[in-house]
Amino acid sequence: MRGMPNHFTRLLGVASLVSGAFASPALAQVRASEIGTMSQTIDGTHITMTYSRPRTRGRDPIFGTSAANWNEVWTPGANWATTFEVDRNITLDGHPVPKGKYSVWFVIRQSGDWSFVLDPRWHRYHMAPPDSTTAQIRFIVRPRAAPFVDVLTWTMPELRMEGGTLAMNWAKTMITASIEVQPSLTTTLAEADARPFVGTYDYAELDSTGKVTKTSTFVVDYEDGTLKGAWIPRDGYFKHFALVRIAPDWFAPGVYDKGVIYEVLRPDMTFEFTRVNGRATSVVLRDEDDKVSAKATRRP
Amino acid sequence: MHRSTRRQFLGACGALVTAALLPARAFAARPRARAGDPHPEPRPGITGAKVATREQLAGKPKLVELFDSVRDTPQVIDGIRCNCGCARTEGFYSLLSCYEGKDAMAKECVICQGQGRLAIRLHKAGRSLAEIRSAVDAKFG
Repeated sequence: MRGMPNHFTRLLGVASLVSGAFASPALAQVRASEIGTMSQTIDGTHITMTYSRPRTRGRDPIFGTSAANWNEVWTPGANWATTFEVDRNITLDGHPVPKGKYSVWFVIRQSGDWSFVLDPRWHRYHMAPPDSTTAQIRFIVRPRAAPFVDVLTWTMPELRMEGGTLAMNWAKTMITASIEVQPSLTTTLAEADARPFVGTYDYAELDSTGKVTKTSTFVVDYEDGTLKGAWIPRDGYFKHFALVRIAPDWFAPGVYDKGVIYEVLRPDMTFEFTRVNGRATSVVLRDEDDKVSAKATRRP
Repeated sequence: MHRSTRRQFLGACGALVTAALLPARAFAARPRARAGDPHPEPRPGITGAKVATREQLAGKPKLVELFDSVRDTPQVIDGIRCNCGCARTEGFYSLLSCYEGKDAMAKECVICQGQGRLAIRLHKAGRSLAEIRSAVDAKFG
């Protein structure tokens, strides 16, 4: 390096050696059954599964072969046992699961009645399946046929207000289990609590300046222990939705699918009722940035 | 042409070595607030002096009133947890943090804006900080 003093050049060389000593080795660690995670939050309950993900590598079927023999206690993953961790108590297919971390195992049977096993001894290698203990959570699941999946995959393909469906897919086999969490909100309301809000309201949608852009009718009724709302004519998405109480006179819409609430639109939409002498006389709809997007007044 | 001096060169080497020797946890994020965590206590003597100014809100005139209101109510806004996730950022203390600086998160985030508007609205209606926190939890928690 022309113009650079010799001692500076020597320092550069030393620095290169020093930085080389601290450099990380190349992380070329491609391996079979790479580790993956699946994580899902449901109403404040955090669920995480960590598992090594084997490929079929041309093996189909998998179950009932040397890959996973009948009557084997098998971890649905590879290498270290698949783990299931949850930070609040839940139920899995109706079976209580205290918060904690578990290893996951299936007892796979040709009869089709497989056992789903959660073992609190979570750090186990797949070649050392656990013995049966009373500390385990065990229940029967039934595999069913599904579209081919090459890499073993855990997902939560369905979510509801109070839970979801946990699923494992590998090759053409699918196992599912229903998760129910501890709900922070309740959809039911005593009739006496619901009565002040029930009625028909003249409804006006507003633009950002407060100008009325559309009018309709908003009906609040009480059905099966739940306060519900609907616009007339009914909105194709909301239909007849639950008014889920979040504060004494505040409600968030809970949208039904196949008879269960799968989504509560909080904080997206909040119906704030105003009472006079205990009876709701008007309601405003506020969106997530607290702006009023609609107002309604009870019909006499 | 800019040329490194020997002092700069040695300083850079030292920084590299120091960084390599620091424990990994020195770079780990500290535990951060999330929905369900307690609300922060307003810091004694807190002011709205760092709240983004009208000039820093250029191009967003509809937010000026909200930011002005937050600047005038720091003792309330500083006692509220932000639920949008920005409270997980290093250096954030409360919802007030979301409104501070030229790159304030609340310039873009409707959740930060919504919590601010709700808090201001209820404060103007005479509600206590405890009541405002309950309302924020009900809607955003």
